[in-house]
Amino acid sequence: MENRSEKEIPSRKRPNLVKAHLDAITIGLKTLLTRKPMTMMYPEVSEEWPEGYRGVIIYFYDKCIGCSLCSQICPPRAIKMYKVPGDKRLRPGYDIGRCIFCGLCVEICPVDALAESKVSDKVFDKLEQMVFDPIDWTFFTKDLQKEQETRRNKVRVIIDEEVGLRYESTVTK
Amino acid sequence: MSSSTLPGMEVRELGTRQGLRLIELNIGAQHPASGHMRMIVYLDGDVIVDVDPDIGYVHRTMEKLAETREYVRVISTIERMTIIDACNVTLPYVEAVEKLLGIEPPPRAKYLRTILCEINRISSHLYGLGLGGIFLNHSTMYMWAFGDREVFLHLANMLTGARLTHTYAIMGGVRRDLPQGFRDAFEKAKRYMTRRLKEYDKIFFNNPVVRGRLENIGVLPRRDAILLGASGPNLRASGVEYDARMTKYAAYEELDFKPVVGEAGDALERIWVRLREIEYSLELIDRALKQLPEGLFFNEKYVKMAPPAVKHWIEKGRVRLPGTYIRLKTKPGEIITRAEMGHGEITYHLVSDGGIKPYRLRIVTPSARNLILFKELPKGHLLMDFPAIYGSLDYFPPEADR
Repeated sequence: MENRSEKEIPSRKRPNLVKAHLDAITIGLKTLLTRKPMTMMYPEVSEEWPEGYRGVIIYFYDKCIGCSLCSQICPPRAIKMYKVPGDKRLRPGYDIGRCIFCGLCVEICPVDALAESKVSDKVFDKLEQMVFDPIDWTFFTKDLQKEQETRRNKVRVIIDEEVGLRYESTVTK
Repeated sequence: MSSSTLPGMEVRELGTRQGLRLIELNIGAQHPASGHMRMIVYLDGDVIVDVDPDIGYVHRTMEKLAETREYVRVISTIERMTIIDACNVTLPYVEAVEKLLGIEPPPRAKYLRTILCEINRISSHLYGLGLGGIFLNHSTMYMWAFGDREVFLHLANMLTGARLTHTYAIMGGVRRDLPQGFRDAFEKAKRYMTRRLKEYDKIFFNNPVVRGRLENIGVLPRRDAILLGASGPNLRASGVEYDARMTKYAAYEELDFKPVVGEAGDALERIWVRLREIEYSLELIDRALKQLPEGLFFNEKYVKMAPPAVKHWIEKGRVRLPGTYIRLKTKPGEIITRAEMGHGEITYHLVSDGGIKPYRLRIVTPSARNLILFKELPKGHLLMDFPAIYGSLDYFPPEADR
């Protein structure tokens, strides 16, 4: 390492000044003219997430045994236990505003009463609407499942050697 | 005394020194080129006399929060220090708790962790390169690097189910097995990125305009780098052959890891080290995928304890946890672990009193260690060189403030 001349350091190999300028301009022009953009026009089209994507948590009331493990593991305390009239056990309620979509509740659930949906861009008008008690959460789950199936203009993201990311419509013509 | 306001900056005259005006310039805290911090720059004409970085705008009490949560819930909290590098930042914590619990992750889990760590390192370096580019007003590099980062976010999404906050490594192993089609997707991403790196060289690294801004700017000699305690690519660019991955955590021992070391120690060399590390990380993932051992991806002890009704998920490559996992009880003791992040070396000091929560968790992040370079490097340079030095250091304020 000692007394090495500047030229031997790999990053100091200075390219020919004219050639380097031309290279930069050429590659810029080439990209500008030939390359397709990587942008996805989001609200018009949306991404079909890959298998196992962790979106909004959905809940099945009939499978639930009311063990409260999900509310105990939830890192931001988005899941809390509620008393439901006519039910002896406590049932989980859900606050989307607090949820970080880590999916730990799904993994701790011993009976598959919780699952990850593939929707993560749900919009609400008011803050209070983001808090669900167990019954609301069940109805919300049904709405979400319907929405998941009926959402149109979905694209699948595919890694491509030439352009990086390519978008392919999921609708087969 | 006069003062004036520029967009995002405030200038104040401090008086004269030997007939020259000394000016105090506030860059930040809302300035786009400063991040969540303020830089108080003292100028003599156009020459920087001193820089006083004013940090703490994004302090979130990570260390205290960790004391109030159970071991497994801490992971997704500390992940938020550096969400662009989520696996690297949580891995040493997970390893520390594993050592206190006395459990060992299976070899396949170690390899899967390594793969995600390297994907994270690539996206972190691309993020740093992009910001380094925009600091020099080179918006092409900014757009290119952030666009190509999407490729690696998509790979991480395939592997873990989340683009940024993966919470992938947990005590006992990892949460998901390698998905189908990942090898193919990575193979394509590797070929794409290798080609792109050559284009980066042409438009950014070998571009005479960029070289003029970066060469011999902010030189950090080898001795100073060690004395100041710089870390990560900033240290290696000064010719110090040290990388926390040499301490052989995760699967780096089997992968025959060798660090990328530069020599000159200036801003250009720091960018060069990052570019070559992206290349090397691609190589490491390739090696890890080839050597990936068969077997379970989660510790056998917990797999056996998992509820029988959901065991079919484990065969499909998704982990299911036993109920006792929430209140893991470690044996009392303390432990220090370290790992190499994209920005440098992160150190955790975990103290346990035998309870279900950490007694104390001390975190030293790489950006906190690199902060001192802001004070030392720009002295004697022109104000114009300051963004170049900032861009080359790859500083991440939320990580330094914790």
